[in-house]
Amino acid sequence: MLPARPPELTVAPALPYTYSSQPRSLLARPKYRAPPGAAEPEKQPVCYGNIMRDPRVARGHALAIRLLPQSTQPNPPEVQKEKSAQKKALVRKRTKEPIRPGTPEPVEGREHVYVQTELYLEEICDRIVEVDGECQTDEFLDRPPTPLFIPAKTGKDIATQIEEGELFDFDIEVKPILEVLIGKTVEQALLEVMEEEELAQLRAHQRAFIELRNAEFAELQRLEEQDRRIREEKERRRLEHLEKLRKQKETTEKIAARAFAKRYLADLIPSVFSNLYDSGFFYDPIERDIETKFLPWLMSEVEETLQKKVLGRTMLDSLIRTVVEKRLDSFSCQPLHGQTEAPAKEPRPTDAAPQVSGGTDAADQLVTEKEETDQLVAEEQPSDPISSQLEESDQAGTQDLETE
Amino acid sequence: MAQPRISAYLPPDIDPTKAALAFGRRALPKLNEELQSAELLTQQRALMALCDLVHDPEKVYQAIEIGFLDNLKTLLGHPDNTVRQKTTEVLHLMSTHSVGRWGLIQNGVISALTGLLDDPVDICRKNTHQIFDMMAKLPEGAAGVLQAGLIPPLVLKLQTELEEILELILDTLSNCLRMEVSEALATGAVGALKEKLTHPSAAIRSKAAQVLSEISSHPEGKLPVCDEEVIPVLVSLLEDLDPAVQASAAGALMFALVTPQGRSSAMAAAAIPPLLKLVAEETSKARLNAIKALTLLAELPEGRETLLDHTDTFRECLDDPQQVVTRAAQSAIRAIEWKP
Repeated sequence: MLPARPPELTVAPALPYTYSSQPRSLLARPKYRAPPGAAEPEKQPVCYGNIMRDPRVARGHALAIRLLPQSTQPNPPEVQKEKSAQKKALVRKRTKEPIRPGTPEPVEGREHVYVQTELYLEEICDRIVEVDGECQTDEFLDRPPTPLFIPAKTGKDIATQIEEGELFDFDIEVKPILEVLIGKTVEQALLEVMEEEELAQLRAHQRAFIELRNAEFAELQRLEEQDRRIREEKERRRLEHLEKLRKQKETTEKIAARAFAKRYLADLIPSVFSNLYDSGFFYDPIERDIETKFLPWLMSEVEETLQKKVLGRTMLDSLIRTVVEKRLDSFSCQPLHGQTEAPAKEPRPTDAAPQVSGGTDAADQLVTEKEETDQLVAEEQPSDPISSQLEESDQAGTQDLETE
Repeated sequence: MAQPRISAYLPPDIDPTKAALAFGRRALPKLNEELQSAELLTQQRALMALCDLVHDPEKVYQAIEIGFLDNLKTLLGHPDNTVRQKTTEVLHLMSTHSVGRWGLIQNGVISALTGLLDDPVDICRKNTHQIFDMMAKLPEGAAGVLQAGLIPPLVLKLQTELEEILELILDTLSNCLRMEVSEALATGAVGALKEKLTHPSAAIRSKAAQVLSEISSHPEGKLPVCDEEVIPVLVSLLEDLDPAVQASAAGALMFALVTPQGRSSAMAAAAIPPLLKLVAEETSKARLNAIKALTLLAELPEGRETLLDHTDTFRECLDDPQQVVTRAAQSAIRAIEWKP
């Protein structure tokens, strides 16, 4: 019977095989080995199993895929026993024929004895001679190097020698290699140099162009500047010239105007003076004084005098009237004579009064206007006859009074 | 064992840093796919292989047709330094060919490169500036650079960059400013260039003078040049030892002296003697420019009387093999002997 299967063995076949068991005390083993022939297929608990027969040891091709010897279910030991019994039976069957039967049983009275028949006798004792031998490698000693294996020389010695020029001609063969090597190197170098040169050419070309362009541009700018200056100068001069012409024209006009004005105004002064004189701006102050002051005073005096006279006359008239009325009243029997006299006397003073007032009005007007001084004189003359009439009527009145 | 038979094929390219090239026409498409892979090593190897291929103009054409430039534009922003460096190198090699230049313009690579101006790695920046330089040599390329708004950053970089890159920037600027100068003037280019005129390196001095001459060739550029008193510095550069510097300084003067302001400041800086010396040298590059500058100065009365004594110098120039010089000398003589 195999020892109890540890549970760890029952794993899935995909994982690698592992085995572990709890520590256990070893079964007690007999002191002596069992005799060689006594080991019969008795079902004893086998302490040592043949490693070749150990189901836990994998046999066969090293790289073969193998499942675990037992499947996942824990097989009962009986099944295992059956299997092992079957295997043993098979083995027995195979080896049955060649196995000779053992020595026949001893005849009666005889006893079989084991006898050694070898050349050299061997002492057999119960106790097995055991000799302990041990072997131990030295600590930390490296494995010594394997000795050089020089096989013995076998065969015949043969020598051969390649003379110069037999295999190949170096100079001819090396040419293509060299060509390639140097050619490629030079080609690469040329490419690089050409690139640089192309760039340098580009730059130089551009520089030359730029120089030319700059020079031309500068020339252009200079000429532009010159042109601008000249144009400005011209413009300025033209403006100056125009200014000059304008001033000249203005001056001639001024001169002409001055001459004309002079001539025009040459006789202005005399005419002005004459006009002024005519219109009375230049006056003799004494004359003016006389005219402005003296004559109005005179006229007012005259008017006053006349008024006095008029007053006197009116008084006289009123006197006469009262007298006449009284006479009329007193002489009412002589009405015709007195009536014709009274109205005849009445219109005379009334005629005299407006004429006198008309004469004084005219006198007021004449004071302001010199040109009518003649009229004044002329007016005075009609007033004189009036005054003379008045004087006559006065005289008549006085005469009348005197007569009364 | 070595065989005496010589192979018809080239030895295999066993450089481990390069990707393996597919045969014939398949090489570039395969590299295109490898460039888009997620693994850094594959991308780097593909770029190394591409760098070698791009020396051939036909491959450049094919690459542009396939559409490499979009991938390369994406790679410009890659965090890894090697990738960026190799990408810029590839683009630079492409720009050395005319096909490449046109492809770069049409795919708008210039604007994608603006981000690399501040790259920490020097080589990336140098390659970027080389690309700009090559592109600016083409008029459409210069227009592209102007449109991408690169002039103000480039002018600002003048102060801070290394010498080699500075030369490239100055070249780019001189080509671009030939077209349009207003943006540069707004960022104070004249002041920055004036500093560079006194740089210890002769190449930088001559290139800075070149840029100044381009600026002053535009009418709006002349005034700042006169205002910032660059003319006395240029006159002092006329006596420089390097002939290239002399030539560029004379060129800058030639343009700047067109304005009356420039002329008076040049007279004040006593520009006539060094210019005459330059004219007298037979093989000088500066001869043409010096003759032109003197022609401009001859239009001033005081210039004219000084130059009347030196007309024989100009008569010598009449024998110059270059026709341009002869013509210039003739016009100079005419200007000197002109009477109002």
